[in-house]
Amino acid sequence: MGKRLLAALLLTSASLAASAGWADAKTIIHMMHQGDPGWVKAYADVARRFEEANPDVHIEFIYAPHDAYNEKFSAAVMSKQLPDIMELDAPFLANYVWSGYLQPVKPLIDKDIIADMTASNVSQGTYPIDKELYAVGLTDSSVVLYGNKKYLEAIGARIPKSVDDAWTKEEFEGYLEKLSKLDGVKWPIDTFRGYGIKTEWITYAYGPLLESAGCDLIDRKTWKATGTIDSDACVDALTTVQTWVKNGWVVPGSSGTNQFYAEGHPAALALGGHWFYAEAAAAMKDDVVVMPLPKLGDKGVSPNGTWIWGITKASEHPDVAGKFLSFFLKDKDYREYAKHESAFPGLKSFAADSPLYAEGGPMAVAFEQAQKTAVARPPHPAYPAITSAFMQAADKAFNGGNVKEALSEAAQKIDEDIEDNDGYAPFDAQQ
Amino acid sequence: MTLQQSAAVRARAGRRRDPGRLMQETLMIAPAVLLLLCFLLAPFLLSFWTSMSNQPLVPRPTPVRFIGLQNFVRIFNDPAFWTSLWNVTRFTIWVLPVQCGMAFATALLLHQKIPCRNLLRGMFFLPAITSMVVVCVIWGTLFQYPSGPLNQIVGFLSAGHIQPIDWLGDPNWAMFSIVLLSAWQAYGFQMIVYLAGLQGIPDELYDAARIDGANVLQRFWHVTMPGLRPTHVFVLVITTIQAFKLYTQVAILTQGGPSGSTETVVHYMVRTGFEQQKLGYASAVSVILFVIVLVIALLQRQLLRRFDV
Repeated sequence: MGKRLLAALLLTSASLAASAGWADAKTIIHMMHQGDPGWVKAYADVARRFEEANPDVHIEFIYAPHDAYNEKFSAAVMSKQLPDIMELDAPFLANYVWSGYLQPVKPLIDKDIIADMTASNVSQGTYPIDKELYAVGLTDSSVVLYGNKKYLEAIGARIPKSVDDAWTKEEFEGYLEKLSKLDGVKWPIDTFRGYGIKTEWITYAYGPLLESAGCDLIDRKTWKATGTIDSDACVDALTTVQTWVKNGWVVPGSSGTNQFYAEGHPAALALGGHWFYAEAAAAMKDDVVVMPLPKLGDKGVSPNGTWIWGITKASEHPDVAGKFLSFFLKDKDYREYAKHESAFPGLKSFAADSPLYAEGGPMAVAFEQAQKTAVARPPHPAYPAITSAFMQAADKAFNGGNVKEALSEAAQKIDEDIEDNDGYAPFDAQQ
Repeated sequence: MTLQQSAAVRARAGRRRDPGRLMQETLMIAPAVLLLLCFLLAPFLLSFWTSMSNQPLVPRPTPVRFIGLQNFVRIFNDPAFWTSLWNVTRFTIWVLPVQCGMAFATALLLHQKIPCRNLLRGMFFLPAITSMVVVCVIWGTLFQYPSGPLNQIVGFLSAGHIQPIDWLGDPNWAMFSIVLLSAWQAYGFQMIVYLAGLQGIPDELYDAARIDGANVLQRFWHVTMPGLRPTHVFVLVITTIQAFKLYTQVAILTQGGPSGSTETVVHYMVRTGFEQQKLGYASAVSVILFVIVLVIALLQRQLLRRFDV
């Protein structure tokens, strides 16, 4: 009797589930993302418009905070709850593709969008082994040197107009020294240590400074860190940055991230992302000067790559996901919001529509950097280990630790990780 | 044999003979045992196995294999691990007197017959029932450098002689700041335990002491303190074990920095397991932490036994 009851129960619940399935036959697309509240709202608005045009599709967002995104994503993988569409930080792409999470997006995305991508946008979404495109985005990124016009005029600093005449190390340090003695300046420069010590910002923003002095995080041919990240060039460059901190020239991490435009303008310069322009210009108007990153060595180097969108292999409806992504990247209001946030264009049509980055625009230098000096972070599946190790080394250095020791430890950790993964085949064969 | 004892023996013997009762008892204990097996013993045994493999957090193309003690060798060779172990030891040594002292002092105060005693007890207990995350966010603001509230107070009290302190950003201060906020957040629990201990001391003892002519200090030293001995031991041991598992405050406020000065064993474990995705390695750390906590727990048993609790 008990058995019959159980069977009856099972039958009813099964039929209930089936009927529920009939009533709600919408295709559900899960989209995992990060971002500030403004962006999150912009995404939701696009989804609403898409659902109005496609009543049979429902877009469901999964939010994960920016600084724990990779951890949250791992949790999704472990619980076999991969979203259909996922936002990912460009340097992690190689790791995700190598691990088998993503599928090529070229066949799924509108052709005019693919044709519209800037070279840098294509390269941030491309997996170096099969040269396939795995992710697309509306935007790209860069870091520039913001200056407070009044302070710079007060010390008579030369203001570089283009990437080619960026400040040299001697000039830059001379100005920092002068600024440190200027009335009203509490700190000569804000490098946004306030973002924390466990943030991609460290590798993203400080990496290029070191690279301009001839350093790199890893040898990009042999994929060995020892001998590269702990080379003399790297030790010297990181020691230089350490000296700035020691001299009290850099805003400490516990002072927040707005000392450049906070009341009284306590920081004279800011080594900040392109997104910082919107905030700074809103607070300081014409007092903001945008300059290329200084050169610590003979060449200028700037970062690129940003959060872009990929479609996972787990998706049951990759075509619908692709359709939504295409709709999303073309959405006018979304682009309008991105422009308002001083977003760095990654699509040519968006660039043409962004006077901020056009020739003569206030952020033109950033766009010029992208073409002339941008170096991507190492496109290798060991990147999570590389960036984690570098963050720790940078934190040690900034707090007065032994630079050589810190970088050697980082080198060892990276090489260990690569060794543990048997060289991340087929990357070990790549030359 | 007393009457009670013989009754107990008979009851036990009766139970053994009655299979229906045994069945009933097994059924009643089964849910608890099952839960313990599933969520404590099984993961624990699994972590032993995982600690000797190169198991990644998420599936990877690299094959998972047995690597013996390699993880342990690496952990013991990693200066960051020793730093984290030293840091929790340091944290424990600092937080113990501060937290237990505060708890003891407030418990003594709130044990007196003062007005609004129950209201005050509730107020002093408030931080302990506030989420640690909330406490951290609030203290993060208090700690701000150079012009956060705490620095303004220090500046005011010292008439500007003490320069602002970078509470969380200076490697020399960061752990101290964590100690301060941890003690403040958690002392309410120890306070309640002390209050219970104080209430357990019979009033007759105090009365007798008074008749013998003992003054306040003598009564405290010869009646209160001996009466609280088991409470002291319990509080110390519980606080030590909690201190060794320090994680939340560090994860929110300093992420183990600056320069590793607040890295703790649990934070190190999460960092290697989730950030670097080396589950095998992190499991090895957890096994080591288990051994450490086990040793402390065994010491606790010894101490408690000695004090006849």
